[in-house]
Amino acid sequence: MEKIVQLSSTNLDQLEQREPSTERMKRLKDRCRWKSIMGGEYIDPDTKAGMERMQILTKAYKENEGQPEVIKRAKFLELSGREHTCIIQDEEILVGYHAENPDWVCLYPEMGYNATIDMIESDLMDEEYKDEAREIAEWWKPRNLQGKCEPYFKKEELEVGYTYTTMEPFPFALVYMSMNVPYKTLFEDGLENRIQICQEKIDNAFAEHLHTDVNRPYDGVKVGEQLHKIDNWRAFIIAAKGIIIWSRRYARLARIIADHFDVPDWRREELKKMADVCENCMAKPARGFWDAMQAKYFAWMLGHSYERYASGYAHLEDNILWPYYNKSVYYKDPEQPLTKEQCLELLEEERLKVSERGIAKGRTYRQAMPGANDLHIITIGGVDEEDRDMCNELTDLILEATLNMCTPEPSFGFRWHPNCNLKTKRLVFECIRRGFGFPAIFNHNIKKWQLEYYFNVPREEAARWALQLCMSPGRSGRYGTQKTRTQGGGHHYVTTKCLEIALSDGFDHSYTRKQIGPKTGDPAKFKSIEEIWDAYVTQCRYACRLHTRARDITRYMEARYLQSPFVSILDDACVEKGLDGMEDMDYPNPWCNIMHNSDIPDSFAAMEKLIFEEKKYSMEDLVKALRANWSGYEEMRRDFLAAPKWGNDDEYVDKWMRRFFETNYQLTHEELTFIDGGKPLPLPQTVSLYASMAPFIGALPYGRRHGEVLGDGGISPYVGMDKKGPTAVLKSVSKVDHRKTKGVQLNQRLSHQIMRSEKGFQMWLSYMEAWWNLNIDHVQFNVFNVEDLKAAQKEPEKYEDLIVRIAGYSARFISLPKIAQDAVIARTEQELGA
Amino acid sequence: MVTCAECKSYFPIPESADDYKKGKGDCVREEKDQKGKYWLSKSVMGDMSADNCSYFSKKLTI
Repeated sequence: MEKIVQLSSTNLDQLEQREPSTERMKRLKDRCRWKSIMGGEYIDPDTKAGMERMQILTKAYKENEGQPEVIKRAKFLELSGREHTCIIQDEEILVGYHAENPDWVCLYPEMGYNATIDMIESDLMDEEYKDEAREIAEWWKPRNLQGKCEPYFKKEELEVGYTYTTMEPFPFALVYMSMNVPYKTLFEDGLENRIQICQEKIDNAFAEHLHTDVNRPYDGVKVGEQLHKIDNWRAFIIAAKGIIIWSRRYARLARIIADHFDVPDWRREELKKMADVCENCMAKPARGFWDAMQAKYFAWMLGHSYERYASGYAHLEDNILWPYYNKSVYYKDPEQPLTKEQCLELLEEERLKVSERGIAKGRTYRQAMPGANDLHIITIGGVDEEDRDMCNELTDLILEATLNMCTPEPSFGFRWHPNCNLKTKRLVFECIRRGFGFPAIFNHNIKKWQLEYYFNVPREEAARWALQLCMSPGRSGRYGTQKTRTQGGGHHYVTTKCLEIALSDGFDHSYTRKQIGPKTGDPAKFKSIEEIWDAYVTQCRYACRLHTRARDITRYMEARYLQSPFVSILDDACVEKGLDGMEDMDYPNPWCNIMHNSDIPDSFAAMEKLIFEEKKYSMEDLVKALRANWSGYEEMRRDFLAAPKWGNDDEYVDKWMRRFFETNYQLTHEELTFIDGGKPLPLPQTVSLYASMAPFIGALPYGRRHGEVLGDGGISPYVGMDKKGPTAVLKSVSKVDHRKTKGVQLNQRLSHQIMRSEKGFQMWLSYMEAWWNLNIDHVQFNVFNVEDLKAAQKEPEKYEDLIVRIAGYSARFISLPKIAQDAVIARTEQELGA
Repeated sequence: MVTCAECKSYFPIPESADDYKKGKGDCVREEKDQKGKYWLSKSVMGDMSADNCSYFSKKLTI
């Protein structure tokens, strides 16, 4: 690798300016092919929709007509391995991309028709490809996930499920998924060993059951059980062989560039080493850190961007990579010797490769994540099952790479425990005080307990939990990791829309102008706050049930038509049982997001006080005011705005938040059973939907007008409504039971002057101690100077590295639409020590 | 007719490779845009016609 020009200082107190550790990394960052999105569209005009994945997928399916579905999926990967374009960019060390051009994205016609055709008909696809693309999309229409699921819904249900009102759009149309690739298996075994295990399983099935041994009884039941498993094992083998070919084509490309193109001598030597890594890293166990990083990158690219689309980058990075880092840097006579600085460079480059990942997910989620290309959250830190610190030198190096590169992706979740060492916590603090908004901090004990108590995860595995996306813990090893979003998380109901239509007998006046929920009564005639609550809960229940059915039917069809043989071969449970990851129902880890949270207790507190206690207004007055968007009712609106608000340690409104949390638990965990037997937990969080959904939600009883931002986070106070300091916020937050959730998103903005002062670290540690002692699930921080943000709005070109926390992710501030920028600026700044 | 095998971007796949097929090769070309250089590799059959390929450049043979 290129000689290191500058090694980052380890004297953290004096560290202010950070930059990439090598000149090469600086160059790669300068030319990074960002794939950020704003307003649902890619910011870089060079980003286009490619054809190659769709073409290969369709060709493989047509050539294998009549084969079991899982075999077709595997044949697609095999053909891709042989034919898909390989790309190596100049000076990069980690290689791999999932489209035929490093600026392009690929489409997933086998997932959702609506999302695919939306891309094809947009400017994202060049005219010369559109006819063929349309033909492919039409061919897939009856065959894709959406086509398979739609027949199980009434027309009016599809109308509700395809618009974003009381619930997230149905998953089979949304094209937004997640998963957790078992990287550990890949590092420890290599695909050749996995192939051998599967082959032995097939051979054994034939020997034991599909035999013609006249000396043994014939059992047709056992024969029947084996057929599907044999298909799966065969598919795993076909897919894995295809992936090995793909990685070795990268090796060949690196050698061809080295031998036949004009490159500097140092790069020629490096390309030969890269060829050696690509030749081995997927096929064989990792020899050291470089193999492991390249294998991880390939597996992530393939699992999340090629085999299908899935958001995320779930893994416990410092834990699973540590053995290979240790081997490369500290072993005597290692197979793959590397210096610490070389490992740092690889970690730095990983951040750029993630930032270059372009994904054609459905428009809804492109709009829901402004400023990001997708959610990429890695987990680090924590303690083991004996509460011993799991932070290691690699944890610190990962954080150093983050500080050096200053990119919003990948983001991190830090598993906080008092036993984690101070040096690592200081590096976490450094990232936060620089305004990255991450690492987000998670209560290790609450997360671990949750997995053991609710999901029967063994103690040692539970201690090694990793975030599946941005908030929810799950398994992270070799066994039973989440393979799809319908197995674990996501899907949500939108509480604010449910309340809005509860106050209009189920009719949506502000957006669709349709009946989108059940009739729950004329709100002008409600005589008590309990009647309003009952109507609200009924709307939530309807939305939750309908969406859950959509989710379960999606899972059912994924298991039959959208298998993932490559990711499945890496999971010991899948290989043992002969089941694809989509159909293995033994490891549910479900949750249900609750969108918009502080809005509900704030609304009910205001209605209780002003209508039913002080009787200053009637329900009829309120209904008229909301329908008029408060226009002509300004004094009334001021009264509702002035009513007690969440986040001020005020029991009057805090009791409504407790009730809200209890009801969410009831509606999800107590009333639902998913198709795999899992009972979901509620997860209050809002992502960036506090801003992007604002146009779809009408006026609300806490004084909000139609179109204004909604409540942030999962339990954060509404912007500007927390008046009594950070301790009051924590006290309010601690009054709900976090153990009855999958996670609770708390956003806090801390004073940049204090955080960046000499006493900042100590004060922040005191805050974190209070947070831990109050048994709170999560917290993430924004630390910024408002003047910088306002200046960035005027001169964005001078603030390219300015990062802010949005929700479960961070983004470059200049990539956000103005409404999101203004919402970030408006977050209340808390003074530590208040 | 000119074929891919006659192009200097054509590199036959070695017999030892997992994806070896007689007559098959990698078409490797260098591209450059405002963000930098990169190399692409696509699988081609050597006997494919290259008459309409804008990247064709005849291999020099001694």
